[in-house]
Amino acid sequence: MSEPAAGVGLEEAAAAFVAAPPPAHRRKIIHVDMDAFYASVEQRDDPALRGVPVAVGHGAARGVVAAASYEARTFGVRSAMPSTTALRLCPHLIFVRPRFEVYRAVSRHIHAIFARYTDLIEPLSLDEAYLDVTANRARLASASDTAREIRARILEATGLTASAGVSYNKLLAKLASDMRKPNGQYVIPPEMGAAFVASLPVERLPGVGPVTAAKMRSLGLVTGADLRDADAAWLAARFGKMGAAFHRMARGEDDRPVRPDRERKSAGSETTLSTDLTAPDEIATAVMTMAADVWAWRDKHAALARTVTVKLKYADFRIVTRSRTFAAPVTDRGAFEAACRELVGRLMPPERPVRLVGVSLHGFLDAPEATASAPQLALPF
Amino acid sequence: MKLTIERAALLKALGHVQSVVERRNTIPILSNVLISAGPRGLALSATDLDMEIVDETEAEVEAPGQITAPAHTLYEIVRKLPEGAEVSLSYTGDDPRLQVRAGRYKVNLPVLPAGDFPAMPKDGLSQAVEVETEALIRLIDRTRFAISTEETRYYLTGIYLHPLVEEGREILRAVATDGHRLALADMPAPAGAVGAPGVIIPRKTVQEARRLMEDAGETVSVQVSPQKVRFDFGRASLTSKVIDGAFPDYKRVIPQGNGRVLTADNALFAAAVDRVATISSEKSRSVKLAVEPGRVVLTVRNMETGQAQEELEADYDGAPFEIGFNARYLLDVSAQIGAEMIELRFADRAGGAAMLDPVLVLDPKDAASQFVLMPLRA
Repeated sequence: MSEPAAGVGLEEAAAAFVAAPPPAHRRKIIHVDMDAFYASVEQRDDPALRGVPVAVGHGAARGVVAAASYEARTFGVRSAMPSTTALRLCPHLIFVRPRFEVYRAVSRHIHAIFARYTDLIEPLSLDEAYLDVTANRARLASASDTAREIRARILEATGLTASAGVSYNKLLAKLASDMRKPNGQYVIPPEMGAAFVASLPVERLPGVGPVTAAKMRSLGLVTGADLRDADAAWLAARFGKMGAAFHRMARGEDDRPVRPDRERKSAGSETTLSTDLTAPDEIATAVMTMAADVWAWRDKHAALARTVTVKLKYADFRIVTRSRTFAAPVTDRGAFEAACRELVGRLMPPERPVRLVGVSLHGFLDAPEATASAPQLALPF
Repeated sequence: MKLTIERAALLKALGHVQSVVERRNTIPILSNVLISAGPRGLALSATDLDMEIVDETEAEVEAPGQITAPAHTLYEIVRKLPEGAEVSLSYTGDDPRLQVRAGRYKVNLPVLPAGDFPAMPKDGLSQAVEVETEALIRLIDRTRFAISTEETRYYLTGIYLHPLVEEGREILRAVATDGHRLALADMPAPAGAVGAPGVIIPRKTVQEARRLMEDAGETVSVQVSPQKVRFDFGRASLTSKVIDGAFPDYKRVIPQGNGRVLTADNALFAAAVDRVATISSEKSRSVKLAVEPGRVVLTVRNMETGQAQEELEADYDGAPFEIGFNARYLLDVSAQIGAEMIELRFADRAGGAAMLDPVLVLDPKDAASQFVLMPLRA
């Protein structure tokens, strides 16, 4: 998904797993995940796309699949796959240009539905969110009834299906939402949590990518049960901070709260160029085009960020970045553009041909802090 | 379906309904207006699934029928037709498009079947209550500025309209708040209102209803249910879902004993606030009021642009104190005061204590409106 994500680094996630206090009470968490979101929106709006393999993205030689319909997935097409690979797997794959405006509008609609059930909503992206429904505002008999009703309301309002996972923490709710996809839901009750994780291959756990998985296998750790039975100190020695996190996950434990205020960490725009560039002025022009996108976004959201980063990806896929942090949030377009020019200049001449350029803003401040003025008090309801 | 109608009449009818239609729609038929030609003339309907507006007007109907066509495009076309033009709308099975003709102009518009147009059920609504249009307009105008725009607190994103009995008087009350300020307006409850459920009317519905009230007669007929509200303005009617949530207990935050009373000329006060706030940064718009007997001094400090100050005569005879406000909030509330003077009532605090309590703002000539403002932390 190319939407700038409100990302939390692995380290931070690991710290949350380790430092979390014991559960004060049993929570009810729902993870809602739209089914093949972008592709489903396209199929909904264009009847000609229904029942056929569809990829949202650019079909050009250097494009990437942003989302694949279920029909396309049966051919092995996956999101983030290069378009050329996707076309090899599925020669009659239809590519559709993404319409992020529409996806965002649908996403807002879905969030409005969530808001009827709880204030504790943590969006992960346009098509995924955690909901803490412990307070049971809707006064339904169970969290799974709440999940069912939310999915029905989403279908009624948008014509799109969602899947849901229901459990007592975020880890299990997220794992559960994958169980009955598409258009289904799955509950992992408290007494089943540990056993559920024990049965999973380690690759399914958050934070276990291909490299970690290979390392685990070489150590004889194949399933959640192997992790559970491993000594915590032994895991920590081999996997650092994540070791303790894996140990807790393997017991079905996760006390990370659903954080509605989770703020955006960065916003950026990047593009893979249609041909690799070597001329400094051409690269600078490409960077400034991205800078214009980012500034338009900043203006629209009145975002206040202090750090500007320029990123280049070389033809050998190596990534280099240069950043500059201002003392105060950047609110002047001239200063922002000058920073972008200066940063890309530091990388010139390029070591190798450049295949991708990007610009991003980081270090967002919320408004009161940013203006360093007196905060508005709230009515004492 | 075939009908003929004068351009101005059609433009007015489209104008009544088209603003409901969202500019960007994820469901194609919601971009369309439902055109129904029948024995009573022309009916136009538009909906965003949360709200529906229907407008009925006279037209020469040659062949009854129904179809839907793009609302904004049709509106733009009719708007650009010359005054006095006779417009004909026709949809026949032969051409699967809506044909619009006026004089030597013609256009074909894409259509979607009328059967797919979502209807809003009107079940469960209460008996209609007739409310004086002017009084209803006042309730809306006095309160709408305080409606929250924060979607996370969706139960504040509307006006809470509810009947109540207070000190033996039957009242219809509108309240809106964004959590920082609150506006309340009362009117004597119309016959049949007491006993009806209170409803939180969403911001967009408030806006549309207020617009349609401009063309309404002496009274507007209002029906409510726990889920819906319906306004009948005569030729146009609006049915809307209401916000499904509990409005907070607003009475708790209306200060009762605020004894420090400051009275100032409202127009001079607003102009002074506006002048000093010109140099403030856009986000905070923080203005400090130094209140002392006989006067109030307004100050805005901005690290980049410097400091602005203005002194204003005021009727106040208590202990001096200072308090900060968002200038925007002061201007918004000042705009609601119809009287010559604005009255601000502050909490009684021991000398020097920070002024962090709600402030009551009153219109000396209008006992039926109250405003509450939270200050800025010093």
